[in-house]
Amino acid sequence: MPEENVNKQAQAGQNPKDEEPRIGVYVCNCGGNIGDVVKCDMVAQTLGKLPNVTVAHSNMFMCSDPGQKMIADDIKEKGINRVVIGACSIFLHEQTFRRTLERAGLNPYLYYHVGLREQVSWVHHGTPKEATEKSIRMMAAGIAKARNMKPLEPVRLPAHRHALVIGGGVAGLRSALDLARRGLQVTLVEKSHYLGGRMAQWERVFPTNEEARPLLKRLIDQVLAEPNITIHTGAQVAGAKGYVGNYTVTIRQQPRGVRGTFPNEQGVMDVCPIKQRCEFNYGLSTRKAIYRPYKECVPEGLVIDWEHCTKCGECVQVAPEGMINLEEEAHEFTVEVGAVVLATGFQPYEPFYGEMGWKEYPEVITLPQLHRLLDDEGPSDGKFYWNGHPVRNVALIHCVGSRQVEGVHRAQMDGEVNNYCSRVCCTASLSMASLIRQKAPDAKIYEIYEDIRAYGRWHEDYYTRASKNNVTFLRYYAEEIPEVRRADEKAENPLLVKVRDHLTWGEEIEIPVDLVVLSVGMMPNPVQDLMEIFKVTPGSDRFLLEVHPKLRPVETAVNGVVLAGTAQGPMNIQESCAAASAAAAKVSALIEQAKVELEPYVAHVDPDQCQGSGECVKVCPQEEAIELKTFSENGRTFQRAVVTPANCNGCGVCVSVCPNRALDVQGWRLDEYEAMVEAIAADIPAWEGAA
Amino acid sequence: MPTEHIKVDALVVGGGIAGMQTALDLGDQGYQVALVERQSSIGGKMIDLSKVFPTLDCCSCITTPKMSATAHHDNINLLTYSEIESINRNGNGFTVQVTKKPRYVREDDCTGCRSCELVCPLEVSEDEHEFGRTSHRIVYVPFSTAVPQKAVVDIDNCIFCGKCIQACPSDAIDFTQQPEPVEIETRSIVLATGFETTPIDAKKEYGAGKLRNVISGMMMERLLAPTGPYGRVLRPSDGKMPASIAYVQCAGSRDQTLGVTYCSRVCCMYAIKQAMLLSGALPLAEITIYYMDIRTFGKGYEQFYQNAKAMGVEFLKGKVARITEDADQNPIVRVELIDEFGKTRVTERQHDLVVLSVGLLPGGNPQAKFGVPVGEDGFIQVPDYNVFPAVTSQPGIFVTGTALGPMDIVDSIMMAGAAASATASYLESSNGSGKEAQSQPERSVEYA
Amino acid sequence: MSTETENRSAKILLLATLSGGYRGADMVGQGHMDYPPNTYILPVMSAAIFPPKFYIDAFNKGFDAITVMYSGTDSPYKGESEKTAEIINETYGKMKELNLDPRRLRLAAICTVCVRPFLEEVQRAEKLLEEIGSVPRPLTKPQAVPAQPAGTQGGIFHAN
Repeated sequence: MPEENVNKQAQAGQNPKDEEPRIGVYVCNCGGNIGDVVKCDMVAQTLGKLPNVTVAHSNMFMCSDPGQKMIADDIKEKGINRVVIGACSIFLHEQTFRRTLERAGLNPYLYYHVGLREQVSWVHHGTPKEATEKSIRMMAAGIAKARNMKPLEPVRLPAHRHALVIGGGVAGLRSALDLARRGLQVTLVEKSHYLGGRMAQWERVFPTNEEARPLLKRLIDQVLAEPNITIHTGAQVAGAKGYVGNYTVTIRQQPRGVRGTFPNEQGVMDVCPIKQRCEFNYGLSTRKAIYRPYKECVPEGLVIDWEHCTKCGECVQVAPEGMINLEEEAHEFTVEVGAVVLATGFQPYEPFYGEMGWKEYPEVITLPQLHRLLDDEGPSDGKFYWNGHPVRNVALIHCVGSRQVEGVHRAQMDGEVNNYCSRVCCTASLSMASLIRQKAPDAKIYEIYEDIRAYGRWHEDYYTRASKNNVTFLRYYAEEIPEVRRADEKAENPLLVKVRDHLTWGEEIEIPVDLVVLSVGMMPNPVQDLMEIFKVTPGSDRFLLEVHPKLRPVETAVNGVVLAGTAQGPMNIQESCAAASAAAAKVSALIEQAKVELEPYVAHVDPDQCQGSGECVKVCPQEEAIELKTFSENGRTFQRAVVTPANCNGCGVCVSVCPNRALDVQGWRLDEYEAMVEAIAADIPAWEGAA
Repeated sequence: MPTEHIKVDALVVGGGIAGMQTALDLGDQGYQVALVERQSSIGGKMIDLSKVFPTLDCCSCITTPKMSATAHHDNINLLTYSEIESINRNGNGFTVQVTKKPRYVREDDCTGCRSCELVCPLEVSEDEHEFGRTSHRIVYVPFSTAVPQKAVVDIDNCIFCGKCIQACPSDAIDFTQQPEPVEIETRSIVLATGFETTPIDAKKEYGAGKLRNVISGMMMERLLAPTGPYGRVLRPSDGKMPASIAYVQCAGSRDQTLGVTYCSRVCCMYAIKQAMLLSGALPLAEITIYYMDIRTFGKGYEQFYQNAKAMGVEFLKGKVARITEDADQNPIVRVELIDEFGKTRVTERQHDLVVLSVGLLPGGNPQAKFGVPVGEDGFIQVPDYNVFPAVTSQPGIFVTGTALGPMDIVDSIMMAGAAASATASYLESSNGSGKEAQSQPERSVEYA
Repeated sequence: MSTETENRSAKILLLATLSGGYRGADMVGQGHMDYPPNTYILPVMSAAIFPPKFYIDAFNKGFDAITVMYSGTDSPYKGESEKTAEIINETYGKMKELNLDPRRLRLAAICTVCVRPFLEEVQRAEKLLEEIGSVPRPLTKPQAVPAQPAGTQGGIFHAN
């Protein structure tokens, strides 16, 4: 066949019928991981006897450069046109070897990977002979598949150079800024009516001791100055359609009820008759149904709490005409984006009633509440006072809602305890101890902890400083939860904390205190709706799950959806910013070229076999992935199924129902499986050591 | 010799995991990158590890593809065995002088077949990669998964017998090779200069490196790695399989006497990981970890720690004051223990092998070479640590990985992404001369 | 038991989804746990592609038990798990016609970290085969099973 003709067929995705498969077979020893159990040389030798196998090698490390070079050389010099590799897990090196084929000029999909390590040598260490035989059979199956493999081309799609960032906390802001500066359009949606998230509620941040809000404000100002960023507050994602590069996202935006700012805002808030718990101060104070959370918040205007507003109209009377509209309605709009950043953040662990006195005694607060209390703009103007009295004795109890032990701690609704470390609470508590010392030089401060995890740069300094500041440390074990109870009436301090201290004599110590601070851990914000919309999953700790916790920490299993900040797990500000920036780098790499490439594993119709039964269309669970179209040829009209690859996710439901075997998922064809099943069950060539 | 010129958007200094990932994240965004590594292979410290926590993935298996991807990336120009000589600001960019050290092997010709290594008559026992525990020939390929897979001659020890020249099938050996100057013109620089571990002889109370059965955590990594020297865990003095192994935590961290006050962040997890691997390799061995605080703070780390406890690894809170040895070279650990009843007592315990969980020290001297300020701890100091951790005070110079302070692999990967993003932002800005300063268009901010 | 089945060891086919059972099997490997080597795991993207005939053919070709380790409700593919269950049910009907013990075919949801469930499934199949032995071949209603499906190259290996 003339070469030109071959190329044409290859381009059309067809296997040239007379191109004889020349299969290269490679067995990796994996530095003994495979070779110590499986006789790799023997496997290669035996497979070399099979039809169409042109070369069969074993090698110490197929993934190494010399290993890859061996394959490339065989392709170039020996005309290998199919490659079967037996090595470690398909998830580790499939991509590596695909690229090897590509570099050597072979279609990267003319390759099959057999997992000989995780699925043979590591699980059959006691039976090396059988493991070797199994390797031969599994590889023979790969070879059988390889005989039938066809070259495939990735699905190439145009992509919007536009990213959606969900969450306007520090991570979302940081991601948006990087994406915009990279030259991408960004839409940022924030559920609340203000930017800044949890960081705005901190008094200060470690390890720099900067005040949190000015630091945040500088970041927000940079975000606001970016022309590529469009911000929607009070907005949530209501739904999404599409796929990587081409999402159409519906956003539902709650009305603000207030247009811009005006001078008499305080007067307007004063006349509102509704009092509500102030979420910003974690319930330490109240606010009105028309309110602003804090002084320098962005956007700076007031907002109406629709849930509690009775529309009495008092505020409308006092405000300048037209500034308040109590009849404003929510509205929906859509954005077209290429990728999505989930920066949905965390919420502080909410202790159960009575957990170390929580809610039972008013003198028990949480660490986030302590931040508000010590804040100059907080409910007590930054004075370390509780209930009108200066606090003289305070105990900070660590690991509340973190490092929990099954059977000891009460489980969450899903039946699981929080068995993870929340990472930030130790240093946050120690930094608060420093601040307390500044505000109350004579106060007695107790840190009741399990391990002090001042792991980060300059974190240890807080630990040292706390010791110098006469902070008393008591160490408890998770199994012996400190007990908080009411002291008798005549006692000087209202509460007693009972703890078995393992730093001194393991004795039970009772500490009289004015205030107990529960250093609560982090839990992810509930984002069930977003998980369903974007098909991402949580891990066992309920935080959103990354592809690989070591090497791909910001990507999810869904191409085009990445994680930023505490949505993925507990992190401090610096770590959230680094993660957010890393997420931006991944998104930039993905859509910056305005196109994305997807795996070609989609349904394919063989027009010669299709009889237009329409069974496939009936069962297809995807929208607009497969349809019947009418064709006419030589005056005859007939119907044939046609696939829209971008909408097909390769679920294969259509394959099993086709009465004419006209459908297949490319790369995973039924005839390939039939050949593989046959090859495993078939007799194999005799091999040395088999008897 | 004419100077080779390379023109790139970003120069990444250091080919460890942070440097490689930064180069990949920049290269994937379409920027031209040069990666300069001092050693003869990229891979950094990570390639020396056995397995990674908390997944227990084989380290070589997950690092090797990264090394390969870096080396094969269309947008990355890799220079190994190269030193940065000087850096000069040049308009908005930099001109960087680099010296490619002579391998005495022509890189283009070497196929990495190791025929030279087989015939070389001399061995030296200072293989950096094996931490002095095994030897290598004078001409050798650094290690089995090295990238690039090219031989290098240890010229100081070579006797010029010429056997390798005869054996080389591709005539790649060249004793006349000279250092080659390379000039890199770049618009930005990312420092991924990494870390060193506390030297084993740093602490005289722990035997100052003279006790044969007291080794560092990095040596244990090599003993546990499938590519390691013995393929199994044996103690150095007599090759005995240790039945009792102790870990001394904070050996080089949180220690005023060594001037290292900070926590090295990775030692708790690597000790626990090694303990778990050891209980697999030596099921009968007793493993004890002496610690001050167990700092398993990362995602999945606490669960990993609890698993180790459940597997029977003994965790004892207490500071090891001194290590000595008995007549059979068994290390004796003197420790102030706080037992389960909270009683403090000083006790001496004998083990077959002691592993010092050595800490992380800054690698190289970034201040002198790149003009970036360092903190008291010697790691690079940045002006806005919390929000812009990768941006140094020198415009156009960025930092990533452990050059910014101790961190584990996953945090290094995150920082690599952060550094790549920060660099991209800079390259696209007018300061980075990526484009003309734009007149600011009307803002399209839309509040609710 | 016929002489034909005596000299071949029983074979178990595990069809494992890449988003579920296949990763679970890898996890078992990472834990270095042991199970018998007469198990053959094939990766599948979606378990819904296999029609009943595929399973019958596999029994006929030499497998004695088949477990489909799909992702169940964790499947990334909408409709995959329902369709797979439907097909397996349909297959049971056909197995009955051929006098094949329906326990030889199982559908099990195996997740990416399902180490124990994976091992339990393998043990269950092994135990079953100890009890009922290999598939008596040829199957009793051979006309229901065409000798060669289209598109395969059968009978390629012969020991000699």
